[in-house]
Amino acid sequence: MRLEPCTLHPFPCTVYPEPCTIFQTMTHWRLFRNTSRSVSTAEGLAVDDTLPQSVATHGSPPILHLYTFVPSVIVGKYQDIESALKLDRCKARGIEYNRRSTGGGTVIMGPEIIALGLGINVDWPGLERGGVGGVFESLSRVFIRALDALGVPSQFQPKNDIQVSGKKIAGLSAAAETGKSLLFHTSFLVDFDVELMTDIMNTPLVKLSDKGYNCFSQRMTTVREEIGKKIPVETAMDAIRKGFEAEFGIQFKEDEPDAWEKESIQAFIRDRYTKPGWIFSHKHPRSRMGVGRIKTRGGLLEIYLSLSGGSIENVVITGDFFSTTQDINRIENALKWASAREESIGEKLSQVWREDMIYGVDVPTLTRAILLAKENQVRL
Amino acid sequence: MADVKGYNMPDDLYYHKDHAWARVDGTKVTVGMNDFFQKEAGDIVFIDLPDTEEEVSQGEVCGKIQSRKWIGKLVAPISGEIIETNEAIEDDTSLVNSDPYDKGWILAIEASNLDEELGSLMKGDALVAFIEAEVKRAEEEKAKAK
Repeated sequence: MRLEPCTLHPFPCTVYPEPCTIFQTMTHWRLFRNTSRSVSTAEGLAVDDTLPQSVATHGSPPILHLYTFVPSVIVGKYQDIESALKLDRCKARGIEYNRRSTGGGTVIMGPEIIALGLGINVDWPGLERGGVGGVFESLSRVFIRALDALGVPSQFQPKNDIQVSGKKIAGLSAAAETGKSLLFHTSFLVDFDVELMTDIMNTPLVKLSDKGYNCFSQRMTTVREEIGKKIPVETAMDAIRKGFEAEFGIQFKEDEPDAWEKESIQAFIRDRYTKPGWIFSHKHPRSRMGVGRIKTRGGLLEIYLSLSGGSIENVVITGDFFSTTQDINRIENALKWASAREESIGEKLSQVWREDMIYGVDVPTLTRAILLAKENQVRL
Repeated sequence: MADVKGYNMPDDLYYHKDHAWARVDGTKVTVGMNDFFQKEAGDIVFIDLPDTEEEVSQGEVCGKIQSRKWIGKLVAPISGEIIETNEAIEDDTSLVNSDPYDKGWILAIEASNLDEELGSLMKGDALVAFIEAEVKRAEEEKAKAK
């Protein structure tokens, strides 16, 4: 590929060889699509980190990276990896682990889960700028379109998830990078290995594994589960690509990293994603998990809570009360990443609460059970 | 205390366009994130603070702030040496939401070029116009998203 400045481009364009009207017509983005093999965590994440750099300093239009990882597990930038994962089980099973540069929690990745990296300038037309939630929402519409094309109706669950009938099917995370550029990560579940998740992750859900996998299936779903048949990962990638094109009014040009980008990718692999200093950074002395059980008028209420610092990293509400999967997921989602202070818990619950959401349980009772789980927490 | 479109923006502070505030006491400048930022970002779950004795320039990214799954930037409103960071917010990041101008302060800088740089920060009418524009933009984008 020849690299030379583009005379019509507001930034120096090093991507397209001919003078172009890309930014004027806003029709072309670049697509790095890898369907030939699943990549290591270091390689995939290094390519993703290069995307916003290339957009910010190398004159590239937005770049979408669609690929799959080898069987692996990836924590959010500020998670405590030793608390989040059973590293001995990862090693025993040959599961790679690493840390990404965007926020959020732990994700299991593998050949049946589409990984997506997007580098884009925050001022790009069509990217909502109404705060953090607005940006996530504009990206979520891409995945809703893609799922719709696959025959799966879905909804955006503010602020970060795409859900099908209250069950998570895709999650978004993001980081502000160089200049005005952003990096987005998404994991899109075509299929999912619940047994693997149970074995290698330290989530409150794992505590419930003796009750079967029902807790997972009530909270997560996959494309294959929803449509009832196997579909190739490539088909789902095509749907995502078309979702972007329709949502942003653009077309993709299939491309690959240029020399500058390849150098950047190698630097990220060498200096970040193979370095224990990066992978094991951000140890939280206060990463803890606890269980709260109380008897209520509506039945036994059990709360499984994990904290990271002063924030709720994960919460599972279970017991023998009457409620719906959607309502429980809505409550759990409202609490996720909220402050674990009593007034904050009460406020978050009140924002989503309606009468008899959990039959026989009210906001003060649920708050009390969560605080009990917090009191009972033990160091992971 | 000034209320600008429902956001608490104290009159005695200076404001950077990336939503950091600066409280000036001699050459010591205390820094935090303003009420507009904390409301738009939502629950702050992690703050990546710089080390003390680090030199920063006005407009330079000197830390990261995570709200749920979003990692945003903390931009230094003033140049100088970081002389202090707020250890309390490492334990309880919600202070940035609940008390952004007092207990939720983030770091302090010993300013190196204060007189010149204060001129590029906002106060008074300029701040009101800025926040009104930010609010309008956010409302327009949210309306478009519906």
